[in-house]
Amino acid sequence: MSALDPRAQDGAKPGKKKILVPKVENGHETMVEIEVDDVEGPQWGPRDSMRLVNHELVRVDAVDKVTGRARYTHDVRLPGMLYAKFLGCPIAHAEVTVDLGAAKKVPGVVEARVVREGEVKFVGQPVAVVAAKTREAVEDGLRAIVLGVKPLPFAVTREQSLAANAPEVNRRGNASKPNEDGDPEAVAKAFEGCAAVIEATYEMPTQHHACLETHGAVVDVPTNDAATVYHSTQATYASANEFKGPLKVKEVEVVNEHMGGGFGSKFEAGVEGRVASELARDLKAPIHLMLSRRDEFLCAGNRSGCVQSVKLGGDAQGKLVAMQSSIDRLGGLGGGSHAGLPYIYEVATSARTMRSVYTHLDANRAMRAPGHPQASFGMESAVDELAYALGVDLVEIRKRNVGDVHRRQLDRVAREIGWNEHPHKTKPDLSDATTKVGIGFGLSVWGGGGHPECRVTVEISPDGGVRASVGSQDLGTGVRTYVTAIVAEELGLPMSGVTARIGRTSYGPANASGGSTTSASLAPAVKHAAFNARKAFAEALAKTLKSDASEIVFDVQGVYDARSKRRLAWKDACATLGPAGISAIGEWQANLASNGIHGVQAAKVRVDTRTGELKVLKMVCMQDCGLVLNRTGARSQIFGGMVQALSYALFEQRVVDPDLGIAMNANFEDYKLAASLEIPEMVAILDDEDTRGVIGIAEATVVPGHSAIANAVHNACGVRLRSLPLTSDKLLLGLAGLKKG
Amino acid sequence: MKAFELARPVTLDQALAELEKDSAKRDRTKLFAGGQDLLTELKEHLVEPDKLVDLKRIPGLDRIEVQADGSLVIGCLVTLATLAEHPETRNFFSAVAEAARSIGSAQIRSQGTVGGNLNQRPRCWYYRNEQAPCLKKGGSECFAYAGLNKYNAILGGGPSYIVHPSDLAPALVAFDAEVTLRGAKGERKLSLEKFYTLPAEADVTRESVLAPDEILTHVRVPAKPGWTSTYVKFKERGSYDFALASVAVAVRATGSPRAIQDARLVLGGVAPKPWSAPKAAEALVGVDDPKNWAAAGNRAVAGAEPLAHNAYKVPLVKGLILKAMEALAKR
Repeated sequence: MSALDPRAQDGAKPGKKKILVPKVENGHETMVEIEVDDVEGPQWGPRDSMRLVNHELVRVDAVDKVTGRARYTHDVRLPGMLYAKFLGCPIAHAEVTVDLGAAKKVPGVVEARVVREGEVKFVGQPVAVVAAKTREAVEDGLRAIVLGVKPLPFAVTREQSLAANAPEVNRRGNASKPNEDGDPEAVAKAFEGCAAVIEATYEMPTQHHACLETHGAVVDVPTNDAATVYHSTQATYASANEFKGPLKVKEVEVVNEHMGGGFGSKFEAGVEGRVASELARDLKAPIHLMLSRRDEFLCAGNRSGCVQSVKLGGDAQGKLVAMQSSIDRLGGLGGGSHAGLPYIYEVATSARTMRSVYTHLDANRAMRAPGHPQASFGMESAVDELAYALGVDLVEIRKRNVGDVHRRQLDRVAREIGWNEHPHKTKPDLSDATTKVGIGFGLSVWGGGGHPECRVTVEISPDGGVRASVGSQDLGTGVRTYVTAIVAEELGLPMSGVTARIGRTSYGPANASGGSTTSASLAPAVKHAAFNARKAFAEALAKTLKSDASEIVFDVQGVYDARSKRRLAWKDACATLGPAGISAIGEWQANLASNGIHGVQAAKVRVDTRTGELKVLKMVCMQDCGLVLNRTGARSQIFGGMVQALSYALFEQRVVDPDLGIAMNANFEDYKLAASLEIPEMVAILDDEDTRGVIGIAEATVVPGHSAIANAVHNACGVRLRSLPLTSDKLLLGLAGLKKG
Repeated sequence: MKAFELARPVTLDQALAELEKDSAKRDRTKLFAGGQDLLTELKEHLVEPDKLVDLKRIPGLDRIEVQADGSLVIGCLVTLATLAEHPETRNFFSAVAEAARSIGSAQIRSQGTVGGNLNQRPRCWYYRNEQAPCLKKGGSECFAYAGLNKYNAILGGGPSYIVHPSDLAPALVAFDAEVTLRGAKGERKLSLEKFYTLPAEADVTRESVLAPDEILTHVRVPAKPGWTSTYVKFKERGSYDFALASVAVAVRATGSPRAIQDARLVLGGVAPKPWSAPKAAEALVGVDDPKNWAAAGNRAVAGAEPLAHNAYKVPLVKGLILKAMEALAKR
């Protein structure tokens, strides 16, 4: 069904109309009525008439990025700038004193300060900072700090935290009061009628955002009640307010032209932003404070782990009948995140309890689909186990318990991954072969809708230049490119005819990039601004040409006045404008955005039963996201999500020694990320049957990949790995277990 | 990283004159070639030398010499990339070429040297963590023994349970390679196998007999006419990683059906030094078939004493031996 029902509904206020838009909750789509302005506003128009939007666009900043010309916060160098870095607490829980005497005497060191003394509650928590003229002097200064560390009892694992004599992590208890949902008695009863019931516990470790650019800011010296801050942030516009306090100024201009990843960890200025501001203010020197890689791992957030115990029952046909689950979220000092169970799949009767278990580790932060990959791993694994127990085809059991869109996508993805020819649809390959191939599946959902937060300016100058300015940052999705494309499309210009400026507070209000809301919030406002600019230009031209604005057409050949049948080159048309040119503002338009997306992913793997080697051979994703702004960009985002989930499947986990309370892998050697040789053949299918407005795509793509891989491992060799990562040590022991029977 | 003096000798004698004689002070002066291991040690403050002695200006150490009988003499400054691509290595010492190729990334192979690879320090994450004052760093405890020991030794461990990280070493030991150690008083030659030490037998803070005032200048790999070889390395991450376990196998096989007359089998990644398994090699002698391969696997791990988290290395080694033999049978 079309996203926008053209028929206005009755009962709308004057100047408004009611339209039906789809809304997806937990993978189930319903149509809801919303009210939008009933004006001749901008429309995306038919897709087959689009010239730039929804095409394969090369990033407009690609060359800047690969040549190093793009300036990231790390790259900012200001006159008289000092470098600063933190010293972190070496162990998980301690009473810390800081002696800065020797550090202050290190040549080149300008300032050394205490960030925190007394009780320190996690390994890596910043306790001191050094600012110096060179980075080397900063390092020497940090080395010269004498810490008095009195170890306190700690709990860095769930087991330690829940032990009878556990040290207190949280004043209100090491585990939160469980949140309960559903009627366990009704569920217990429902299990009685099931054809099969499975019971298992699934665990996911803590994973890191692993942003290539670490957190931090370069803070310029405040003057005249104003300051400029270069900040690697997902919230360029909002973060300005956070710096005003510590800088004691009224105005802050945050600059964030390019950023090296955030994944949900960069919404706040953080201790690094605050300390950099205080140093800049007090020392009257610009401060460059970017976290070290070690700090990044230890104090800049993470994806919480979880332990989820699941009991799931179904009928003989594979309809999910009953589910009981209990979930522990493991977010360190934070509450953790979990999307809840059942996840996506409809289960007739279910109940769950969920709580947070606290440990002496850095608190979790939002991370690309917070809580969803965790829920996916629990749910998809359990559905898979039930399918084998029932002897139902792995695709069929999924289709029987989800909505239309997922069903359609399942068929397409199954075909692409080779399910139809696959010999092991209801039983794993238990033969004596030494290399075996398996297939697994996983589903995703996400909201991805927009909000009225962005204000966009499009300016046309008499020299023919067109400039679009937006306060939004590019979290990595190619914002500059689609801003350029939307404006160029509207004005009949090539991509090169428009310059997109992004990532400055003064460019206008913009939303933080979270929840995959950037595109659906920004693109409609850009379209609106371009539409308004075009209309204003047409009106100005109509006056000059003694025509009517409705007769002025902008196309790839320039500007055409249908009344006088005169054609003007774009530059000549612009030259008729007064010195001020055209400046138009755009705001969010509900009819240009939508929300609620679906995805299906499949993975094909090969297991070598002699060595436990797991090789992912192919991954397929089909994803809907309304109007695709840039097909190349959308597929890149899908690939990125798939790779991130593949990396969860194969390697990623934070390791802390449970006896010493020290971090074992706060670096890129020991915290393993998938690299080029791990990347399989990948297929991203954009679901063009989805005709809705713009919806964000980022988060959904990371939800199910690891689940599909884990399921594929079982399908390949009969070993069910219930904890990530799926490393060869676990696989080998699992295979040995199978042999013993 | 602490500031240091950089000495740039142009002769071996000048280089030797820069070195510490006193074992207790050995870490005050460090040899510097490709720097791939040294730099990581400096950055983590595992060593804080006053002086680095850069060997790269000494002529002649960056060459591979092919002797009349086909033996190789490899200078310590030969890069891993050069060794991997050298036609003699590839044609007659496959295991050595394959081992060199398996190391790190292209960047590391271009920069890292043979001498540096053979003398690199352990990767054990307790050793590499400044917060853990372990045996290897002069402390009193091997934290891996009762700790997170997934990557540690199953053979030859105690009191330290590191694994030797070199990929070249097992391959070279399989070829009975010999090293030349040059000191102020002259040079000594010994087999690479005897070059390495177990923690229980020698100074637990070292992995070899190299004295502080010695330089490993050359590796001689004797020709083994009629032998074929392979190096199979298992990395947790294919793109860039150290071995969870590896196997270097060299065999002399004749006839049809193939029969193995003689064999060498050396394990990497499972012990504090390259682990020769002569009894396993013996099991390979005879008909070249999977039964004998499996028997060799069983013998190779016969004395294994896995720790809490590394029992998987036992089946892994067996699997790698099967894969290595399968690969050799196809050559």
